[in-house]
Amino acid sequence: MAKPRPVAGIRPKKGLRPNARRVLAARIEEIYAYDGLIADPAHVTELHDMRIAFKRLRYLLEIFGVAFTEDLDPYLEQVKVLQDLLGDIHDCDVQVPMLEDHLEWLAAREAERAQELVAAGVRRRPSRSANGSERAYRRFRGELEGALRGDERVGIHALIARRRTERDQLYLRFLDEWRRLKRERFRPRLEAALGL
Amino acid sequence: MAKAWEVPGLRRRSSFAEAGGRVILTRWREMMSSREGTLLGEDIEELHAMRVSSRRLRAAMDAFAEAFPARSFRRHLREVKAVTDTLGGARDLDVAIERLQGLLPQMRPDERAGLEGLIERYRAERAAETASIDALFRRLDAERFGERFERYVRRHTGVAVEKLNPVAPPAAEG
Repeated sequence: MAKPRPVAGIRPKKGLRPNARRVLAARIEEIYAYDGLIADPAHVTELHDMRIAFKRLRYLLEIFGVAFTEDLDPYLEQVKVLQDLLGDIHDCDVQVPMLEDHLEWLAAREAERAQELVAAGVRRRPSRSANGSERAYRRFRGELEGALRGDERVGIHALIARRRTERDQLYLRFLDEWRRLKRERFRPRLEAALGL
Repeated sequence: MAKAWEVPGLRRRSSFAEAGGRVILTRWREMMSSREGTLLGEDIEELHAMRVSSRRLRAAMDAFAEAFPARSFRRHLREVKAVTDTLGGARDLDVAIERLQGLLPQMRPDERAGLEGLIERYRAERAAETASIDALFRRLDAERFGERFERYVRRHTGVAVEKLNPVAPPAAEG
């Protein structure tokens, strides 16, 4: 996660407003630094970092709102829309690898169980009759099939497919919103409201 | 989401450092007010409220970082981050379990076993998270982090939490 850059020129004993302006200007700049990078949906890290940058700006607008005369709520709302969309994209980006990891976890549990069954079979005394051997084999096969968790994979694959589709749709919505923000001159309007 | 506590005495004319002290100490007390409920673990919303407050506290600390000496501030921020991260692990599992349960009726019958298995796994992992949260708060208590943090903020901002006395907003009726 990109750390917030230190803000130069803060004078703690001076008023809230001039200092808040400096902090806010730095955080607005951080968001727009991602502009060229998020045009590629595969830039997962940059999209995540931009979400964090939006989140920081949102909290700062809430915290410093008291220092400004202009109502910052409309700007806050727009920031929140973008932050939420990027948050939903991030959820998909995190969940898909988690679900893939779960598939591997299921396979590992199956392998462990199969090994336990084989080890238990080896410890059992072999049957002398053909019928006994056949029964033992059928029991072993039944236990092994019971241990296989293949039926659980169907649902996990379905979830992965769902998340990938959602991610594609969310990304397109995010790009629309981001372009709209720029078209509507969000940054210059916000900067004017803050007296920057 | 739990409503943020109002910051007592925060004014347009406050100095940056004083505003920082007021906001940070209010968010600190707001976060700690959910501690008992979180440890009790009967209502997942308590943990959620504490996590949200911890994020508000971190945001306030980021906002006013320049009012404090950089090195000592980083140490305090690290502890607050530990609270957010520890609660985050449990919260993520709570959310994942709730979402999967909500999805179950929408899935085909042959897909449900997978979701049920995953819910079962997350529930087991969630039980382990409670122990981590408990251990974290025990450590913070043993190190008297709360007292040290409040004194630290007072030293650099001039705001004493006893005088500030932040309180929870009245519960909404309904």
